[in-house]
Amino acid sequence: MARPAHPHAMQPSRPGSTRTAPPQMPPRYPMGGRYRNYTLFDATGLVYLLVGFVALRIVWALGSGREAWQSMLNQLENPLYIAFHVLAFVSVVFVAVRFFSLFPKAQPPRIGPAKPPPAPVITAMLYGVWFGITAVMTFVLIGGNL
Amino acid sequence: MKTFLLRVEPLIWLLFGQGILIGTMLLTGWVLVVGILAPLGFFPNGMDYTRALDVASNPVSRLVLFALIALPLWKGAHHLRSLSIDLGGADRDTTVATTLYALAVVGTILAAIAVVRL
Repeated sequence: MARPAHPHAMQPSRPGSTRTAPPQMPPRYPMGGRYRNYTLFDATGLVYLLVGFVALRIVWALGSGREAWQSMLNQLENPLYIAFHVLAFVSVVFVAVRFFSLFPKAQPPRIGPAKPPPAPVITAMLYGVWFGITAVMTFVLIGGNL
Repeated sequence: MKTFLLRVEPLIWLLFGQGILIGTMLLTGWVLVVGILAPLGFFPNGMDYTRALDVASNPVSRLVLFALIALPLWKGAHHLRSLSIDLGGADRDTTVATTLYALAVVGTILAAIAVVRL
């Protein structure tokens, strides 16, 4: 898929002393090699957008009374809704694993006098918080009392 | 509009980043239980109307639900915009970005109303 990239994609802040060729999209983009995960990471945006609006519908139904809530629960039993939520779950886990591996690499070397902890510690903290929040959310949603 | 989008980009990036981080952390349990397990018949007590309303109307729960709805919308909008640019849509970026962010704004406002009326 070699084609011209956005003309300002890699534009320096001021013209360089050496002439350069116009930027080109990588030939293997969008689904070849390591670009596949990059593209899929972006594509999860569609799932997140839809999940957000479905969650909005669910919460809205809860605030609309018992009948609206029961109707919403019945709709969620539709196989299409379940299949969508399975896709959403896979997307969420994919985003988490990819983002948590990128996050330590995106840290600045230091902020004032403080240095960030080593990358494995940051990753462990992210996974710990993720598992913790997921466990609490799951516990409450299945009927548990904190 | 392009100038405006550039001006609010730090705010959009903040919401996008929190959509990935906090949104993902909140969505995992939500999608698993509300979207998959409960519709398959597991844990029917959790979805009982009286209990669900009681739990959801707690101030902390309202905040969590608001974040759970609004932040993924911003993550979704910004990533779809990015995908659109990468797939050759740089020329239509202003229209695409405006549409996607408008969806996220509307969704965020409705999310606030939804949790207030619980």
